[in-house]
Amino acid sequence: MKIVIAGGDSKAEYIIKSYKSRKNQLVVINPNKAVVERLRTACQIKVFHGAPWSRLAFEQANAFDADIFIALCEEDTDNYAACLMAKRMFNAKKTICVVDNPSNVEYFKQLGLDAVISSTYLLAQNIMSESSMETLTKTLSLDDNRVTVIEKVILSKYAICNKAIKDIRFPKYASIAAIYRNYQIIIPNGLIVIQPKDTLLMVTTPNNSRNLLKYVETERASILPVGGLAGVKAKETSSSEKKAAPAEEKTVEKKAETAKTTVKTPTKKKN
Amino acid sequence: MKRTYVIGCGKLGSSIANELSRRELDVIIIDNDESSFALLSDDFSGVPKVADATDLDALANIGVENAGEVYITTGNDNLSLFLAHACAIIFKIPYVYVRFDDPTLGILVQGQSNIKAVYPFQLTRDRLSLLRSGSEQQ
Repeated sequence: MKIVIAGGDSKAEYIIKSYKSRKNQLVVINPNKAVVERLRTACQIKVFHGAPWSRLAFEQANAFDADIFIALCEEDTDNYAACLMAKRMFNAKKTICVVDNPSNVEYFKQLGLDAVISSTYLLAQNIMSESSMETLTKTLSLDDNRVTVIEKVILSKYAICNKAIKDIRFPKYASIAAIYRNYQIIIPNGLIVIQPKDTLLMVTTPNNSRNLLKYVETERASILPVGGLAGVKAKETSSSEKKAAPAEEKTVEKKAETAKTTVKTPTKKKN
Repeated sequence: MKRTYVIGCGKLGSSIANELSRRELDVIIIDNDESSFALLSDDFSGVPKVADATDLDALANIGVENAGEVYITTGNDNLSLFLAHACAIIFKIPYVYVRFDDPTLGILVQGQSNIKAVYPFQLTRDRLSLLRSGSEQQ
């Protein structure tokens, strides 16, 4: 892979070192003379001195057709210009723009950059997900916010608790990817009964995540129709109806790997 | 009437703001350094505002979103580029004028019909060659 690393000081050094070992073609451009010297000695690599947003520096450093272009300059707008230059004029396949001001993440994306990273933004997201631990819900967004994985601990008061998956009419816009129970992972099928203290790992789209949580958190006395008016009626007849099997295929890869070893546990219990 | 915003109160920005104010337009000039407003003339009738132009939220707060036209004259080309795109694409301002020192940046604003870019470098060069051919003829 051809990787262009533009700007940055210690971040650049770290990235250079971690990519250098993997036999990639690295092109390093840095606007700061002192940093250029330091990187040369620290990383034993050719470093071009120049502004990574100027056409001249790109041409001199031969930064054409990069597979990944990483902009690590101090100023957000410098990174913006560098990424645009790389993308529009030098045919970079993917640009990664690091920003300082977290609100620039959304703005830069709106302006057409494909990956924008802010450490403050990530920190805030982490803090939010950690602090929502008390509600026992964790969410993880994948693939540029197009998929959300929600982790949810089931309490005994929930309506879906102590019911088999085939009987609960789980919403169509989501699927249960895995269940953690007693340190074991269960890949669910329709016969699995959801028990208190189970942790459900559910996959859905970001705009449905709120609905999904609402559905899961519905308490026993007042189960609400889900996915339309047919919900209540359907609930009564749901046991006879075909239930869309929770899609095994959609499981989060990482979890699925660990799950393989324990996949038989539920069926054994059941029989 | 929609307001006219000038971002960057340097020599060019302040002189544009003075000129627009003389034409009785409703002008707001923005700079992050209050002392730069000293460049505005005494009869400047617009409003100078201190704001950090790298922060779009701050610009939105002082109403740049609803501008009729924006002149971008910061001293930093990359900042100008970002502001031009943000004003044209995110704020959807119908007329965005921007000054770039580096003429190669022009390619990055091409295809965006509401951005008009000016390059003093090219203007000076063309003017000088015109003057030169003029004096040759004499």
